Amino acid sequence: MRKAYAGVPALDGVDLTLHGGTIHALMGENGAGKSTLIKLLAGVVPADDMVVERDGRAVSLTGPTDAHDHGFRFIHQELNIVPSLSVAENILLSHPFPRRFGLTVHWKRLRAGARDALGFLGADHIDPAAMAGSLGPGDRMLIKIAAALVTEDDGQAPCLYVLDEPTAALSGQESEMLFAVLARLKGQGAAILYVSHRMDEVMRICDEVTVLRDGKRVAHRAVRDTTKRTIIRDMTGRDVSDAYPPRTTPIRDTVVARVADLHSPHLSGIGFELRAGEILGVTGLAEAGQSALLGLFTGREKRRSGTLEALGQAAPKSPAQAWEAGIASIPRERRGDGLMLEMAIRSNVAVSHLNAYGFWASRTREASDTTEMGAKVRLKSSGPEQPVGQLSGGNQQKVVFARALLVQPNLLLLDEPTRGVDVGAKFDIYTLVRELSASGCAVILTSTDLPEVLGMCDRILVLNEGRQTHLLPRGTMGQAELLDTFYAKEAETT
Amino acid sequence: MMNTLRQSGTLLGFLAIVVFFAVQLPDTFLTARNLINITQQLSMLIVVASAMTIVMVMGDFDLSVGSVASLAGVVAAVMFAHDYPVWQGVLAALGMGLLAGLGNGVLVSYVGILPFVATLGTLTVFSGMAFVVSDGKTIYGKDIPAEFSGFARGGWAAEWLGQGMKIPNLTIAALLVLILVWVILEQTTFGRRLYAIGGNREAALLAGLRVKRLRLLAFGLTGLGAAGAGLMYAARVASANPTQGSGLMLDAIAAVFLGMTMSRHGEPRVLFTLVGVLMLGILDNGLTQMKVDSYIREILVGVIVILSVGVAVLTKRQR
Repeated sequence: MRKAYAGVPALDGVDLTLHGGTIHALMGENGAGKSTLIKLLAGVVPADDMVVERDGRAVSLTGPTDAHDHGFRFIHQELNIVPSLSVAENILLSHPFPRRFGLTVHWKRLRAGARDALGFLGADHIDPAAMAGSLGPGDRMLIKIAAALVTEDDGQAPCLYVLDEPTAALSGQESEMLFAVLARLKGQGAAILYVSHRMDEVMRICDEVTVLRDGKRVAHRAVRDTTKRTIIRDMTGRDVSDAYPPRTTPIRDTVVARVADLHSPHLSGIGFELRAGEILGVTGLAEAGQSALLGLFTGREKRRSGTLEALGQAAPKSPAQAWEAGIASIPRERRGDGLMLEMAIRSNVAVSHLNAYGFWASRTREASDTTEMGAKVRLKSSGPEQPVGQLSGGNQQKVVFARALLVQPNLLLLDEPTRGVDVGAKFDIYTLVRELSASGCAVILTSTDLPEVLGMCDRILVLNEGRQTHLLPRGTMGQAELLDTFYAKEAETT
Repeated sequence: MMNTLRQSGTLLGFLAIVVFFAVQLPDTFLTARNLINITQQLSMLIVVASAMTIVMVMGDFDLSVGSVASLAGVVAAVMFAHDYPVWQGVLAALGMGLLAGLGNGVLVSYVGILPFVATLGTLTVFSGMAFVVSDGKTIYGKDIPAEFSGFARGGWAAEWLGQGMKIPNLTIAALLVLILVWVILEQTTFGRRLYAIGGNREAALLAGLRVKRLRLLAFGLTGLGAAGAGLMYAARVASANPTQGSGLMLDAIAAVFLGMTMSRHGEPRVLFTLVGVLMLGILDNGLTQMKVDSYIREILVGVIVILSVGVAVLTKRQR
C-alpha cells in the first residue's frame, strides 16, 4: 500500500497479511500511518498504489460499498452515529430495511434484527427503540460495533473486521463484552485487524502484531514471542519506559480550590481541597460524572447547593471567566470541542491568549508564542501555519496543550487527556503535566485508564453515578482494588 | 495543486470576463470613465458585502441588510423633510442601523434562533418599518437637501485619468469602509476571535471566548454597514423609498461566496469579497452595454455563482 498526501508519504509500501481466525494488532504512534491504512482498506480514500487479494483473488476497492460487498466491516474511531434516529435504524443503516408489502418499513422486524445484533454482542441492556442520541458514549460505541456484526441476508458472514480504537470510549466492563465477541468472531474464522494504543489489551487478546513507523512496516511479530518493551521500541524507534514520570517536587500548602458538599444536576456530595501543584484524579465507570465535575469550574455545570471556590474566587460562570481567572481546560472531544481543524496551529494556540495581545493582532507574536509552546510540548509540525486538521491525533492534543500552557494557568482541567494518543505522545503529555505541577499549577485529571490514574495522581476521587464515593490518597491500592471502588455504592472517606 | 486551482479558478474566471468584455466592447469598456462609473455603481454593494463578510466569517448570515439599507435611507430622508440638519439625519440613520443589527444579534446569539430564520424575520419587520416611516411614499425633490445628494455627485479631481475626471466620493467612501472592515477582521484580536468562532464555535467558547457578545457585536457592525450603504444609495439617487435597498442582500451574499472560493480554506476574506463584488458588477455593466436582456443577465449571474462555488466545493472534497 502506498499513499502520499501533498507529496508527503503517509504509507510507503506497507505489506500486511491477515489470516482468518486470528486477531492482528496494528500499532504505531499517531502519524505512523494506521488511519491511512484503514482508510485505504475501507475505500474512503483512493490509494496511490495498492494490491488487495482475498483468498488469492484480486479485489478492487474503489469505494466504501466495495469494501462492504467483499465482507469487510469497519468500526471507525469517531462516533459516527445518527443521533436523531433510533438504535435499530442506526444498527441496520447500511442494510436495506425490512419492508411490509415492499413499501413501508417493517419496524418490528427492524427492531428484531437490531436486537439480534445487540444480543450477539451481549449488550441486551440497550433498547432498539431508544433514540441513539440519548445514549452515553459507551453505548454508542456498542451500537456501532453491533452494526458491524449484522450479517447479510444471503447469510454470508463478513470475513474481515477492522476496529480502530474501539475501547477508547468503553468502560472496563464494556471492553470485556467486546473481547468476548472478538473471541467468538475469531472462532468463526474471521480475520480481525485491531488498532489500539492500549498495550495491555493487545498483549491479551491479539495473536499477531504489525508495527508501523513513519509510514513503513518496521515489525511483524507473533504476540506470544514478544514483549511490551519490544513493541514500544518498534513503535518509537527508541527505548521509552512505559512508566510514569515520578513526582519530584512536593505539593505546596496553598489551597487552590475548595469544594464542599456540592450538589448539581449531575453530581452530588462532592467535596475536596486542592493544593498548588497537586494532581487530583477523577475516575469511575464511563460517564460517572467526570466531565460534569470539571464543568463546575467552567460554569458548564450549574451548582445547586454547596460551595466552590477556585483561585480565591467564586465559581466561574463561563469558560471565558474561567480562563481569565487562570483556569485552563482541555476538553474531552478534541476535534469537536477543542480545535478549529481548518485553521492554522498558530490560531488554535493563540485563541485563549488574545486578551493578552490587546486590541491589535500580531501575527509575529502569535507565531513566536506558538513556536515556543510547540517546542515545549514537543509538537511535530511543518510550522505554525500548518492547519491543525493535517496533524495526527497526538499532535492535535499537543496543540490544545500548547494553548493551555500559553496562558500559564494556576489550575488545569484535563478531560481524558490521553484518549486516542500514542505511547510516545502520552509520555510527553505526562511529562508536561509533571512539569506544570512542579511549577505550582494544580491539575484535575479525569481518566478511565487505571494505570494512568494510579501513576499520575496524588489523590483519586471516585465517582459513582455522579456521587463522590471515595477520595483516596496515592499508593494505597493497586488496579484491582481501585476497580472495586467503582462499583461501591456507599460513600467512604479515607 | 487542487487547492491552488480552486483558489485561482475564480480569479481566472474574473479575468476571462474582463478580457471578454474588453474584446467585445473595445471602445467603451476599458475606459477610465467606464471603470470609474462601475466603482461608483458598486460602492453600495461594496459596503454591504464588506459588512456581510463580518458575520459570514463566523459562519452566520444576515438576510436583513437590504431592508436595513432601505430603512436607513427613509429615516434620514424623513428627518431631512422635517428640517433636521444633515448630520443629525445621517447619525439617526446609522444609529438605527446599528440598533437593527444588534437586534439581529440578540435574536441569533442570546435567544439562539438560527441566523437564517431570525434575519428572514427581521427582513420583513425592517421592510415594514420602512413603509411605515415613509408612509409608503418616495421622498425626493426639495425634501432632500442639496448638501446630502451633492456628496454623491462630488469627487476628488483626478486629472491624471483624463480631462475633467473625478474619483467619486461614493467610491472613496466604499474603499474606506472596505479598509476599515479589512483592519477589523485581519488586524485586530476581535477579528481573530470572529474567525475562531467560524472555525469551531463550541471550541471557541470552551477556549474562553465570549461567543455571545462577539456575535452580537458582529451583527451590530453588519447592521451599521447596511445603514451606511442605504445612505449612500439615497444620496446617489437624491431620494428615498422603502424598497430601494432590497436588491443588495442577494448580491452581497453572492459576492462573499464568490470570495470564499478564492481563500485558502474557503473562509470569507474581505479583499476576496471585493473581487466577488467587482465580478458581479463588471458582468452587469458589460452585459448592459452589450444590450443583453436584464432577465438573461440574472440567469447568467446565478449560473456563474453556482458554477464557481460548485467547483470550489468539489475540489475541496478532492483533498
